[in-house]
Amino acid sequence: MQELYLISLCALVFFSVLAVLLKDLLKAALSLMAASVFLAVVLFFMKAYYAGVFEISVVAGLITVLFVSTIGLTRGDDFKESKLPVYIFPLFFIWFIIIDILIMYLLLSKMPPLTKWLSESGKFGDVLWQKRTFDLFAQIGIIFAGVFSVLALFRKRDKND
Amino acid sequence: MVSLFIIIPFVLAAFLPLIEKVSKRFLPDLLTNLAILFLLIYSMTFGYQVVASHSGIRHFQWFNQNLNIVFALDGFSLFMLFAIYLVSFGVTLFSIDYMEHYGSKGIFYALFMIMVGGMSGLVLATDLFTIYVFLEVAAISSYGLVAYGLKHDELEASFKYLALSAVATAFLLLGIALIFSITGSLKLGDIADRFFKEDAKFIMYICTGFFIFGFGLKAALVPFHSWLPDAHPSAPAPISAMLSGLLIKVSGVYALTRIFLNVFGLTPAVSTVLMYLGIISILVGAVLALGQDDIKRMLAYSSISQVGYIILGFGAGTSFAIMGALFHILNHALAKGLLFLNSGSVEHSTGTRDLNKMGGLGKRMPITAATTVVGSLSVAGVPPLNGFWSKLFIIIGLLQARAYGFAFVAVLASIITLWYYIIIQRRAFFGKLKETLQNVKEVPFWMALSTLLIALVCIIIGIGFPVVISKWITPAVNILEYGIRYAMQYLRL
Repeated sequence: MQELYLISLCALVFFSVLAVLLKDLLKAALSLMAASVFLAVVLFFMKAYYAGVFEISVVAGLITVLFVSTIGLTRGDDFKESKLPVYIFPLFFIWFIIIDILIMYLLLSKMPPLTKWLSESGKFGDVLWQKRTFDLFAQIGIIFAGVFSVLALFRKRDKND
Repeated sequence: MVSLFIIIPFVLAAFLPLIEKVSKRFLPDLLTNLAILFLLIYSMTFGYQVVASHSGIRHFQWFNQNLNIVFALDGFSLFMLFAIYLVSFGVTLFSIDYMEHYGSKGIFYALFMIMVGGMSGLVLATDLFTIYVFLEVAAISSYGLVAYGLKHDELEASFKYLALSAVATAFLLLGIALIFSITGSLKLGDIADRFFKEDAKFIMYICTGFFIFGFGLKAALVPFHSWLPDAHPSAPAPISAMLSGLLIKVSGVYALTRIFLNVFGLTPAVSTVLMYLGIISILVGAVLALGQDDIKRMLAYSSISQVGYIILGFGAGTSFAIMGALFHILNHALAKGLLFLNSGSVEHSTGTRDLNKMGGLGKRMPITAATTVVGSLSVAGVPPLNGFWSKLFIIIGLLQARAYGFAFVAVLASIITLWYYIIIQRRAFFGKLKETLQNVKEVPFWMALSTLLIALVCIIIGIGFPVVISKWITPAVNILEYGIRYAMQYLRL
């Protein structure tokens, strides 16, 4: 299981970086979807089942469908893929994994076992609905800010502008 | 009710786009200005009483159900709230006329109120994750506001700001996650207590690094400043005033100070790092400001320099230095807010921000010219304006800490600051009026009134600084000087 967890983490990083590097939007969207699926797997391993389900259904599912439909409707000529990912990406990825392992090794050896204090731990539902309810209200603020920003960006300008 | 500081901005923001359907301009203008004025008076009356009676802890309830979230209104948070509402009031008054040609005032004010609500929540929060969430609320609304003009530069600046803020956020989240995994709590008091009792210095230093990077990027400290000279000049002038005057201080400096002074404790190593970051920001910001032709870009670089003074003061950690840093938060918020609003006035009347295309504007825009002189002299630290006293306290604080070299550089940078502000005056407002500017007129009533009021406040604070120090700054200094003991005693809720 531990190996599968680590493979999922590596795959998450791999597909996330690939999504940024690819010039072809369709391939980039599919890479993002793959990254989301692996993130969901990581969340399941961490016992954050609700977050995992949201990740698969909303990000890997709904958002990918939206991306792919939009790209399909608006796509122009075919892109010539840059050769940069082919040469640079594997080197970057290996470098990242080595640095990550080194940092985590150093970090884990220095972390004191302080689990006796886990006062805010508990089931996902308990933490979200009973211990951190207010965060939901603040997150409504974030959603409002996002919605109003989109409305501002797509608003009708005055005639004299 | 302490929670009114958060509820009023959010509730009004939710309704403003609907109110706009009934009244396009009048009601959104009126309600937003009234709400901010109410919050300003409320902070000065109710807020001050609560802090004076040491009863500023409020458990947030919803229909009598305890939501297990706690806000604390103490001297430090009240001082920040006062600064937020004071500058915001000047900005909303200015927006009545200035935002007229942008359209959709309801949505503009809604985003503005969400930003104010986010900043208010951030300074009242007693929990690391709540701080993070409110920081995001303020940040997301500010992305929309920077892009509000919808031109190429504005959209590009907003995207750059968003991308770099996302990096900052990632580091903050990483730090928060690490703290939670070690201490099992996100409450500031619990974290202070557990780091104090357990030998977890290694982890604390890693988190310190993450937070310096994350909050340093939000505060635009050098070398994390690259987003600011693009984002601040591109936004509409009222938003530039809010971002440069307040947001970088609330989401960067306040959070950094609260965590380092009240939760982690200011260790000599962290103090040294903050002082070096501060002094580098002062110098780099001042030198880069000198070479600018765009008036707003010059002001943006100046903000980097002035935030450096604030961080230098907090880093020094002596009473005078902390007092000066806090006072400089208020003074710089007012003066830089005023200068950004005036740059908006100049752009509104002349259609340009390029200093090469200006000259002799003082003859056509006397109010804007006069208030720009007040703002410039205040930021440069010329007596008896408010900025002089705060810089003086910081320098005395540095001398108390025997940081003579830092004090010398701070004074030197102040002279450079005066230099580039004289350049603005000379190139924009003095000299012969350019032929292309013959038809330029002074700005409309609300814009002029707003800048006059802020300039007046700068002068009044400069003359009556002992009152401001004793009433607003000293309670905040006491809290920061009390260090982690304050969090352990009062923020363990």
